[in-house]
Amino acid sequence: MNAFHLAFAYLRFNWIRSLVLVLVTALILAVPIISQVLLNGSRAALTDRADATPLVLGSRGSQLDLVMNALYFSEDRAEPVTMAVTDTVWNTGLGLPIPMNTAFETNGSRIIGTSLDYFDFRGLEVADGRGIAVLGEAVLGADVAARLALGPGDTVVSSPENLFDLDGVYPLELNVVGVFAPTGTPDDEAVFVDIKTSWVISGIGHGHDGVMATGAEGEDIVAAASILEFNRITDENIDSFHFHGDPASYPVSAIILVPSDERAGTILRGRYLDPENPVQVIVPKDVVGDLVDRIFRIKTLLDAVSLIIGTAALAAIGLAIFLSYRLRAREMQTAFKLGARRGMIVRLLAAETFILLSIAGVISLGIVLAVQSRGDTIVAWLLAT
Amino acid sequence: MNLFNPNRRAMSLLLLSIATAPFAGPALAQDRAVIATVNYPLAYFAERLVGDTADVLFPVPAGVDPSFWRPGIVEISAMQAADVIAFNGAGFATWTTKVSLSRSRIVDTSAGFSDHYISTETITHSHGEDGAHSHTGTANYFWLDFSLAARQAETLAAGLIRRMPDAEASITLNLEALTNDLAALDASAKDLNALVAGAAAISSHPRYQYFGRAYGLDITPMEWDANEAVTEEQWKNLEAVVAETGAKLFIWEATPAPEARARIKDMGLVDIVFPPLSNRPASGDFLNGMITSVEQVKKIILE
Repeated sequence: MNAFHLAFAYLRFNWIRSLVLVLVTALILAVPIISQVLLNGSRAALTDRADATPLVLGSRGSQLDLVMNALYFSEDRAEPVTMAVTDTVWNTGLGLPIPMNTAFETNGSRIIGTSLDYFDFRGLEVADGRGIAVLGEAVLGADVAARLALGPGDTVVSSPENLFDLDGVYPLELNVVGVFAPTGTPDDEAVFVDIKTSWVISGIGHGHDGVMATGAEGEDIVAAASILEFNRITDENIDSFHFHGDPASYPVSAIILVPSDERAGTILRGRYLDPENPVQVIVPKDVVGDLVDRIFRIKTLLDAVSLIIGTAALAAIGLAIFLSYRLRAREMQTAFKLGARRGMIVRLLAAETFILLSIAGVISLGIVLAVQSRGDTIVAWLLAT
Repeated sequence: MNLFNPNRRAMSLLLLSIATAPFAGPALAQDRAVIATVNYPLAYFAERLVGDTADVLFPVPAGVDPSFWRPGIVEISAMQAADVIAFNGAGFATWTTKVSLSRSRIVDTSAGFSDHYISTETITHSHGEDGAHSHTGTANYFWLDFSLAARQAETLAAGLIRRMPDAEASITLNLEALTNDLAALDASAKDLNALVAGAAAISSHPRYQYFGRAYGLDITPMEWDANEAVTEEQWKNLEAVVAETGAKLFIWEATPAPEARARIKDMGLVDIVFPPLSNRPASGDFLNGMITSVEQVKKIILE
C-alpha cells in the first residue's frame, strides 16, 4: 500500500511526464481497437443496407458510385437517368421503382428527393412533427436535426449543385415539418424532400409573380428579366409554382427497385443486361460484397502495419521508462541508503508502471466506448464522404 | 346520420381515415381499403368497382370545382393513407403536382390513352434572358366521351386489383357491369352523330371537348362562370360566336340565372344544362346524370 502511495505521489509530482506517458499509451491501446470497431461497423453498415436493397437502377458507368450514392448518399454519383425510366419499370408491373434525386445539399447533409414509398421501404418513422405533405417541405434525419439543433417550424436552405454555378438556380428555403426517429443508417444524416421539391431546387419547377405582358404578341407572354422567383414555398405562393417540360424527362440520380418477387427481379435484371443500354440494374449486395472483400484484404495489411507501429511505440515507451529509471539512479541510491531494500525499490517502480498503465487503459476504454456509441454516425459519415 | 348523403359520407370517411391514420401504420394494414379519387366520375367508378369491400374517399366539398380545389394538411394526410389514389391525369387537379403521394398507390386513369388527348390553347412565356417556353394545355374531362370513361374505369380496376388482389373476382365482375352501362350510354350518345354530325354548338365553359369529338358536335367554348352574372362584353362575344358558327344549341355547365336563360332564348338559341359532374351531384349519380343530359341533347336536336 505504501509503495502505491509513494508511486502515486511521485507521478503527481512529475505530472507532465506522467500525463504524456498516459496519453501516448492510451492512444496506442485505443487505435487498433477503434479501427477494428469502425471496420466492423462499416462492414455491418455496408452489408446490412445492401442486403436490404434488392436492386438499384441507374446510368451505366461506375457501379460503385451508383450504389454508394443511392444507398449511402455519397457525393460521387453517376449521371442521372430520367423519370421515363421509372415509369417504364412501373408499367411493367414487375416491381416498385423508388426514384431518388440526390444532387443537392444543405448544411453539409445531402438532400434526398424521393417519393413517400422510400419511407415505407426503409421503415422510417417520424419522431417529431409530421411527414412531408406539400412542395417545399422537408423532414430531417435524426443526426442532422441534432447537429443543427433544428426541428419542425425551422427552415434549411439548399446549397447550389456546385460552387461555380454562380448564375444557377436560387437556393430554396425548405420548411422543416418533421424529424425521423434515429435508425443508425445514412438516413439519419440526410434531409428528405419530395422529389418534386428537388426539381424545384434544380430550377425545373418554379414560382413567380405574375408575368408582365411587355410587347407580348398573341398568346406569348414575355416576362421582364427582373421578375422575382420565389425562393421559399409558402401557402400564399404555392399556387404559382409550376414545372416546365415533359415530366418524363426530369432527372433522377438513381432508382431503387423493389421487385414483386424473385422471378420479377430476375426478369428486371435481364432487361438491362445489354451493354448498349444506357441504363443498368445492379444488385447492391454483390457490389458491396466486392467492396467489403477489398476492404478486408486491405485490413489484413493495416493490421500488420498497426502491429509493427504498436510494437515500435510500446518499445519506445519501454525505452522512455527505462531511461527515466536510469535518470533516477541517484534517487534510488538515496532510497537504498535510507534503508529501502532493493525489493521495495522494485515494488515502487512496478507500482508506478501499474498506475500509468491502469489510467491509460481506462482512458483508452473510454475512447473506444465513445467511438462505439457514435459508431453508426461515424460510419455513416465515413461512407458518405 | 344519413350515410347516403354524399357530402356527409365523404366527410365521415375523411374523419375516419384521419382518426385511424396514426394507429393504422401502412394503409394496407387497415381492415378496409380506402380508394381516394380526384373527381366525382372516378369516385363513382371506384364505388361501382369495389362495392362494399372498400371505402371511397372523395374529399372535395360540394360546389367546388375539383380541378382547382386545394386540399389542406388534413385532407392530404387522408389521401396519403389511402391504398389507391385515382388520378384523372392530363393536369386535372393541379394540387396533385404540389402534394407528396406514394407513386405505388397512384393510378393515372388516362395515361393509357394519352394519344387521344385534346390539346387546348398554348401559352408561351419567357423569364428574362432564359428564352421562351410553352405550357400546352390539355382538355381533361375525358369521361364525357363515354368510351374513354370506360377505359378510365378499366385502368382503375387494374390498379385496384394490383393493390387488392384478393378482391380481383368481384372487381372484375363489377367492371363488366360498369363498362356495359358506359357502353350503352356511349351507344345512345352516338345517335347524335347520325343526327347532327358536325353541328355547331356553344358551351358556357370549355368542358365538352371530348363529348363534342366523340358525338359529332362542334362545340365552341365561352369562358363564363355559371355562378356569376354574364357581362355585356361576354354577351357581345357570344353574339360574334353565334354569327360566326351558326350555332343553335347553347350548353350550360350549371343552372344559370333565369335572366341569362331568357337572353339566350332571345338570341334564338336553345339552351340546356349539361352538368359535366366533375363534382358529386346533389342527387342522383354519374350514370343517371349523364343519361339525362344525353337524352336532353337528343330531344332538343330532334325537335
